[in-house]
Amino acid sequence: MTHLTRRSFVGSAALLAAPALIRPAFAADTVKLGCLFSSSGTMANLEGRLNHVVRMAADAINGRGGVNGRQIEVVTSDPASDWPLYAQIGRQMLQQEKVAALFGCWTSVSRKSVLPVVEQNDGLLFYPLHFEGDENSKNVVYVNSPPASSVLPAVDYLMGPDGVGAKRFFMIGSDYVWPRTINKQLKGYWTGKGIPETAWREEYVPFGFSNFQTLVNQVRSFASQPGGQPIVVLTVVGSSIPDFLREFANQGISATDVPILGLDMVEADLEGLDTGKLVGHLNCWAYLQAAKGERNQKFLADWAAYVKAKNVPFSADTVIDPMVSAYDSVNLWALAAAKAGSFAVPEVRKAFAGLSFDDPSGYTLTMTGENNYVSRGVFIGSVNEKRGFDVLWQSPNAPKPVPFSPYG
Amino acid sequence: MADPLRAILTFCCLGLLTAPAWAVPLDRTRFAADLCGDGAAQVRGAEGLVQAGGDLPVADLTFAGGLLGALAERRLACPADGALLLDRPGAAEGHDALTGALRPAAEARAPVLGLRQRAAVETARGVVALLTGPDPAARGAGLSVVERRIATVPASVLDRAQDAEADAALKAAIAGLAQAAALSSPDPARRRAAIVAVAASPSGAAEARLTALKSDPAYAADPAFRTALDAGLSRVSRAVAVGDGLAVLYNGLSFASILFMAAAGLAIIFGLMGVINLAQGEFIMLGAYATYGVQEAFRRFAPGLLDLYLVAAIPVAFGAVALVGIVVEALILRHLYRRPLTSLLATWAVSLFLVNLVRVTVGTQNLQFVMPGYVSGGVPLYADFVVTWNRLFAIAFAAATLVLTLLILRRTPLGLDIRAVTQNRDMAACLGLPTRRIDRLAFGLGSGLAGLAGVALCPIYSVNPGMGSGFIVDSFMVVVLGGVGSLIGTLVAALGVGGANVLIEPISGAVAAKVIVLVGIILFLQRRPEGLFAVRRRR
Repeated sequence: MTHLTRRSFVGSAALLAAPALIRPAFAADTVKLGCLFSSSGTMANLEGRLNHVVRMAADAINGRGGVNGRQIEVVTSDPASDWPLYAQIGRQMLQQEKVAALFGCWTSVSRKSVLPVVEQNDGLLFYPLHFEGDENSKNVVYVNSPPASSVLPAVDYLMGPDGVGAKRFFMIGSDYVWPRTINKQLKGYWTGKGIPETAWREEYVPFGFSNFQTLVNQVRSFASQPGGQPIVVLTVVGSSIPDFLREFANQGISATDVPILGLDMVEADLEGLDTGKLVGHLNCWAYLQAAKGERNQKFLADWAAYVKAKNVPFSADTVIDPMVSAYDSVNLWALAAAKAGSFAVPEVRKAFAGLSFDDPSGYTLTMTGENNYVSRGVFIGSVNEKRGFDVLWQSPNAPKPVPFSPYG
Repeated sequence: MADPLRAILTFCCLGLLTAPAWAVPLDRTRFAADLCGDGAAQVRGAEGLVQAGGDLPVADLTFAGGLLGALAERRLACPADGALLLDRPGAAEGHDALTGALRPAAEARAPVLGLRQRAAVETARGVVALLTGPDPAARGAGLSVVERRIATVPASVLDRAQDAEADAALKAAIAGLAQAAALSSPDPARRRAAIVAVAASPSGAAEARLTALKSDPAYAADPAFRTALDAGLSRVSRAVAVGDGLAVLYNGLSFASILFMAAAGLAIIFGLMGVINLAQGEFIMLGAYATYGVQEAFRRFAPGLLDLYLVAAIPVAFGAVALVGIVVEALILRHLYRRPLTSLLATWAVSLFLVNLVRVTVGTQNLQFVMPGYVSGGVPLYADFVVTWNRLFAIAFAAATLVLTLLILRRTPLGLDIRAVTQNRDMAACLGLPTRRIDRLAFGLGSGLAGLAGVALCPIYSVNPGMGSGFIVDSFMVVVLGGVGSLIGTLVAALGVGGANVLIEPISGAVAAKVIVLVGIILFLQRRPEGLFAVRRRR
């Protein structure tokens, strides 16, 4: 429970009343970075953290003297989990605030809505989520992994002898572009491996859906059919994730019966759940809080200190992949801008080629001149009793990202 | 030269054959090393224990159980040699598994179980619990694990458990399982008995096991086998169909109870005052937060009674949210009674205010609730039909709310006043009823009902500031369909919408189900704009 000061109360009351969507801070001789992360609506609990991470990263860079002699100023906003609003605020940020780069979006549908805006205005959007790939804009930096270096290794692991030798797949997703594209690619991948179409099922639910009884019944009856080990590939997002997990555990299915591979599942989704009955379910990201190494320890300590110092309304001891990716984004931008000696987007973009950054995950992030994708490591995590993930497997190195999937 | 060799070989074979009859002790060092090894070694260790489990001395099983439990709970640390048992994950030192000596665990690796290893370890723990559990409950839990993975457990384990079991009911359950495990036995009579045993506890998995036997050569060759299998299969199929039907009924009832809880308060407010209260969802959210407050209070002042916090939260949530409702009515809505559009906007503003107030004061994260036994997990009732306690709690809660609200409306002076004002506000005022005061109390009652919905939803949904927004559309749908101001109408509409959703969902998916239900409601309202049960108003 965060402390309610009179100032923060007045501030939020003003935020409620003010028609302006953007809260700028004014200062001279600064360069502005814009954030497009919701602090209200269904995505608030997840995206809200990223505003603070971007500020934290910018503060650290400012502490080292800023970029090209200028201090970074972070402009935050609240697109309210309303996809068209991301585009509107993004346009305002680029045209009126003249931000040097945008950091934002969680769902692919919000990225797709901002895409034309950054392309028309030749802006830069750093996108910190792993996603469905099949997109390659010169105006978007894809800081996290496309399926070939996140989902496919995890599915491979589950199908292999180290996993469970999965033979059958129940795909459950929220009804929008990311789950549908991911599932299309997975089906193409399985077809390529000679797995028949009868071995999978595909179901979609609306955003914010929470009544998973019938679907979990269907998973149970799917699991009891013959044909080999079933798994669930879960691509629902937001509050649907904990609601699904709760129903799954209550109906008595354990990870050793039917494991769930939760592609959007992060530590924050396990808040409020009794994970004792969920131990063993999997996720896959380019960073897990349990990652080994000094750099991760430092990042965790920095975040905890930042939360305490700035009275941030999020957990001090939960760090999720998109937070680290947002942190990486700011650092990659700063490195590129410093290398280019300029804040102009074409110059910064040119400077991406050959960039590398040692991030908290323990891998070295690299970029090539070919596209705006970033090489990241791959982690497979396993839910533990303490509402976190243990590292079950991690890739020996950071694979080169493949933007376009050959599997459909 | 050949004879001595043959003699030795014979001796060895004899030795091998007779070995299982003696209790061969477990190679503890090797077992500990296996559990500390790579994934393949862990599986080997756990599966080896399951295979040998029927013949191991109890002391060895207990030892192995301790190690396996530590491994599963991440309390096993693996230094360069041996294995350490920690008191809690990540502890600085632990007891050596073999010698019991206290050793530092700082440099030791704590292995993480992969899924295949976890399954093997789970089975091995089940076997140990079945054979060495101190009470029937522990042994029963072990049996249910063994039952799920019966294909990997040798008959000797079940035989030993059956011989040693003192509890009659558990002994019968073990015997039944042992019988069912003999599905691929060479003895035809045992096989037929196994079919009967499998059919005795029907489920989708049992159906799949029996269906697989249809391709067995015996099915074509042995008429007795075929009759037994067909009979068993039809029995299982029927039971599974009945179980699925029950599940649909239960799912529909559970969804309907949630819809009803969310809509009941709205029905009263909308029916009485014509105010479209868009903050109703946020009142539900406040009810859930009040429940959280009660839980925290219990945690601090009466930790022993923590399991009862949900019950204690019922009056608190009702009272707190009713109070909020009365304040909102007194401060805002009372000025806007003749302007429905303005009051709609005002309640929307209230909802935004409440969401953001909670965000600022408590934060956006999902709240952490302790789930007492009566609202977590479930029990398989018949075939594949599982009754989940949290849903049953909501159904019972909704039923109790319905009865109480009907009693208030039909049997109390306040209820009489509310009904009078609902039917004809002006006439009621002429007869001397203080309509404004009744409005306020009714608004409080409606808000309080939303608070109760918050209590009922805590065990089902995630509780966060935004949870209310999902309910408002559904609850309006139910209220309008049921007929404005009619509680019975709301109930019937909730049952109808819930049932329709659950019936359509498996056929056309959750997205289409929602669309179809909404289109159905639109068509229905075009034919009958006043809803299912219209309250007769005198004008």
